[in-house]
Amino acid sequence: MLLEKKLIEQLLDAGLSRGADFAEVFIEDTASTVLQSLSGRLEKVNSTKSFGVGIRLAKEFNIVYGYTNSKNPEDLLKLANDLSKSFNGDKSIERTPLNELEVGKRHKAKVLPSDVSLEDKVAIMKKAYKAADEYDEAIKQVIVYLLDTEQNVLIANSEGRFVSDKRVRVRCGINAVAAKEGVMQTGHEGPGSGKGYEYLLEEINVEDYAKEAARTAVTMLNAEECPSGVMSVVMHNGFGGVIFHEACGHPLEATAVAKNASVFNGKMDKKVASDVVTAIDDGTIENAWGSANFDDEGYPQQRRVLIKDGILKSYMIDKLNGRRMNAEATGSSRRQSYKFAPTSRMSNTYIDNGKSTFDEIIADTKYGLFAKKLGGGSVNPGNGDFNFAVSEGYIIRDGKIAEPVRGASLVGNGGNILTKIDMVANNLLRARGMCGSVSGSIPADVGQPTLRVTDITVGGKRGA
Amino acid sequence: MMNIDKLFKVAKEKGVTDIQVYQSNSNNLSINIYKGDVEKYEIAESSSLVIKGIYNNKMGTYRTEVFEDSLIDEIVDTIIASAKVIDSLDDAIIYAGDEKYEEVEGLYNQKLTDLDVAKKIELAKKLDKKFYEADSKVKHVEASYSERTNSVLLKNSKGLELNNKANASYIVGEVIVNDGEDQRTGFDVQITNDFNDYDVDKFVDEIVEDALASLGAKPVPSKNYPIVFSSLAFATLFSAFQGIFSAQSVQKGLSLLKGKLETEIGSSLVNVVDDPFMKKSSSSRSFDDEGVATKHKYLIKDGVLKTFLHDLVTAKKDGVESTGNSFGGGISPVNLKVEAGDATLEEMFNSMDSGLYITNVQGAHAGANPVSGDFSLQAAGYLIEKGKKSQPVALITVAGNFIEMLKNVETVGSKLKMTYYGITCPAIKVKSMPVSGK
Repeated sequence: MLLEKKLIEQLLDAGLSRGADFAEVFIEDTASTVLQSLSGRLEKVNSTKSFGVGIRLAKEFNIVYGYTNSKNPEDLLKLANDLSKSFNGDKSIERTPLNELEVGKRHKAKVLPSDVSLEDKVAIMKKAYKAADEYDEAIKQVIVYLLDTEQNVLIANSEGRFVSDKRVRVRCGINAVAAKEGVMQTGHEGPGSGKGYEYLLEEINVEDYAKEAARTAVTMLNAEECPSGVMSVVMHNGFGGVIFHEACGHPLEATAVAKNASVFNGKMDKKVASDVVTAIDDGTIENAWGSANFDDEGYPQQRRVLIKDGILKSYMIDKLNGRRMNAEATGSSRRQSYKFAPTSRMSNTYIDNGKSTFDEIIADTKYGLFAKKLGGGSVNPGNGDFNFAVSEGYIIRDGKIAEPVRGASLVGNGGNILTKIDMVANNLLRARGMCGSVSGSIPADVGQPTLRVTDITVGGKRGA
Repeated sequence: MMNIDKLFKVAKEKGVTDIQVYQSNSNNLSINIYKGDVEKYEIAESSSLVIKGIYNNKMGTYRTEVFEDSLIDEIVDTIIASAKVIDSLDDAIIYAGDEKYEEVEGLYNQKLTDLDVAKKIELAKKLDKKFYEADSKVKHVEASYSERTNSVLLKNSKGLELNNKANASYIVGEVIVNDGEDQRTGFDVQITNDFNDYDVDKFVDEIVEDALASLGAKPVPSKNYPIVFSSLAFATLFSAFQGIFSAQSVQKGLSLLKGKLETEIGSSLVNVVDDPFMKKSSSSRSFDDEGVATKHKYLIKDGVLKTFLHDLVTAKKDGVESTGNSFGGGISPVNLKVEAGDATLEEMFNSMDSGLYITNVQGAHAGANPVSGDFSLQAAGYLIEKGKKSQPVALITVAGNFIEMLKNVETVGSKLKMTYYGITCPAIKVKSMPVSGK
C-alpha cells in the first residue's frame, strides 16, 4: 500500500472539514528509465523514482489542489488542512466510507521494466540502430531512445472510491537522419505499448520500425519542396489520426465544453461531420498506449462513441467539469502525475473504419497531396484553427501516387474539416502519441483509416 | 532530506570516483479565476535530487523524489550499472568550480513571497473583471496568477558547493472575442518578481485590442510577401531553432550550423546574445547545472556566427571553455536576446507596398525542422497595403529556411520585448517569403 488506509481517511476528513463537498487523494509511485544512444553508442541512462501525493477538494465549481513529495503524515495533514481553509464554512457533507480496495485487473504487463536488465534493454537499441544504419549509405546518424515506466497509483475519494492501478508502458523511438550535399532530412518511428517488455522483446521487431524510419528519411532527402495552395489531401492511416485528435478531440473535452468555449457547444445529437465519419475514444482497449483500468479520478475507463455517422454523440467529461455541464463523467479524467489536478482528456482516439478502400481513394483523386506520415500539430481551442506537419508526403496526380514532396504543413479549422471528409477507407490503424494539455503530458493513441479531406490549405516552400 | 555526506561516502566505497548532487526545492501557488470566482487554487511543495556519478569514466544519473537514506544503496548501484552499459566516447566530468561567479541581483524578492495571498487573488480577480469590461465582444476569459520559488543546491565531491534562490510570478490572460460572425482569441503572459510591475489595465487593453483587431481574419492569396515579424512571432520562430546553437547538436551532426563558426549566417544587422545576467529575468543565473560560471556572449555578431553553446563535455571536445550552458540535462541558452536596431514599426510598414505583419506563429514544435532549418508554420497577422496596416489575416502558412531568413533580414526594430518564450527581441523585417493562403 502506498499510504495507509487510515491516513487516507484522515486526509479526506481534513479536506472536508470546512465545507468542501468533495475530497480526493491521489498517491503515485513511479519508476522510469530513459536510455539514449547515438550512432549505436549508448550515451545516457537516466533512472527516475517519483513519489507524490495530490489532494483535491471541491465545493460546487471551485477546486483547490495541492501536492507534496512528503510521505510524512504530519506534512500531508497540514496540506489537507491548508487546502480546506480555502472554504471558510462548516463541514457540509458526510464522507462515504471507503469501499474495499479495487485493484485494476486488465492491461497486465508480463515482463516488468524492473525485471529486464540494462544490458537487455541496450541490446534492443543496438538492434534498432543497426537496422536503420545499414538501410542506406545516406543515413548519417541514428538516435535511438528507450523509455519504460511503471506507475502505481492509489486513488481514494469522499464518495467511497478506493482503487489502485498499475500502468506499465514501454516505447522505443528511432530517429534516422539522412544527409546529402548539405541537405538533411529525418525519419521517425516510435512503437510503444501499454504492456511490458514482452512487447519490444517478443511481439514486434524493432528492426522493421528502424528500417521504416530510415526509409522515410532517405525518401524525403530525395523529395522536392512541396507546392502550396488549397487542395485535396489524402491522409494515411495511423498517425494521420492526429488531425482528429487536435482539431476535434480537444474541443470535445469537457475542459473546453464546460466553459462554453468549444466549437462543439450546443451540437449534441446534431450533425457535425460528414456521414462517413464515426469517431471513438476508447480507454478500454487491452494494453493500448492510452488505456488504463481506471481514470485518474478512480473511475473505470470507458469506450466513448464521440461521433456516429456524422452525428455528435458524446463529449469526454471529468467529474468536476461534469458539474458545470450537469452531465455524468465519462471516465475521462487523466493527469501526467501527482503534480497535476486531473481533467478531461483523450485516451485512444480514432476515426472508425469506413467503406472505401485505400486504392479507391487514391484512384479517385485527380490532384492532391498524399500525407503518408504526419508529424505533430496544435490547435487553438478558442477558434478551432489547427496546423500540423507532413513528415512524408507525395503528390497525387491522375489517381496515382507520384513524386515525394517535403516541408508541407496542413492548416485548417476543426469546425469545418469534419464536414470535408468525403472518403474513409477500411484500414484503421492506431499510433502512439504524447498529448500535452492542462493536466500535463500523457500517453494517447491517435488513429484512423486512410481518408480524404477536400480543400485544405497546404503550406510549402515551393510557393503556389 | 537525504544525508548527502553518507551518499558520497557509500558511492566512494563502491568505486564511484566523483559524484554530484543537484537538489531543487520548489514552492508553487496558482490562482485561476473564472467568471469572477476562484475556480482553481493550487499550492504545492516539491523537491527533487539529481545525482550524477562517474564510474569507469562513464556517468550514471539518478533522479529521485524519495529522500530516505535507505535508498542510497539502490541509487549508487543503479549509477554503477548505468555507467557499465554506457559506451559513448564522451568524457564524464564533474567540475571543481570557477574562481569567480557573478552576483546576480534581484533574483529573489522576499516581498513577493510575504505578500498576503488575498492581494494576489484580488489581482487575478481584477484581471478577469477588466477583461469582461474591456469590450462586449469578450465572451470568454481565463485569467490566472501564479508564483514559484525555487532553491537550488549543487554540491559535489570535488568540493564545489553553490546555491541559487529565485522567485517569479506571472499573470496569464486568455480571451475569446466574438462579433457574431467570427471568433478569435487573445493571449499574453507577464512575468516578474516585483508585484508593483503589474499594470493590469495596460495588460488587458493590449490583449483585447489585438483580439478585436483580428476579428474577420481570413487567408490572403498564396504568393511571396515581404514580412515584418512581431517580437512574439520572431521569438516563437527563434525558439524552434535555438537548439541548432548547441555544440552537442553540432558535434552530433544534427545542426545545420556545423562548420559555420566565424562565417556569415545572417544579415549584418543580426546580433544575438545570451545574457545570463539580464535584469528582470527569473532565468538569470550565475552558474549552470554543472557548476560552471555563466558568461555573457554573442552567438551572432554582425551576422557572423561567433560561438556555439557548450557544456563541459562538448567544450573539451572542441578544445574550448564551457560557456556555462548546461541546463536540465542538455544545452540551452539562459536569456537569448536579439539586439534592437533603429527602425520603428511604422517605418517598417512604410517600406512595404504589399506585405504582411505576422503577429502570431503556431506549430513551431511540429512544422519546424531544426536539422534542415526548414519551416512551414501556421501564421496570423495583418496585411500591409501601401505602408498601412489593413485587413487581419489568419490560416496562412509561412514557409522558409531559418538561415535563409536570417540572411534576408532587412530591418531590425528598435523596441525590445521580453516574450514568454524566454527570448527578448524586437520586430524584424525580412525579404519576401512564400505564403500559402487561399
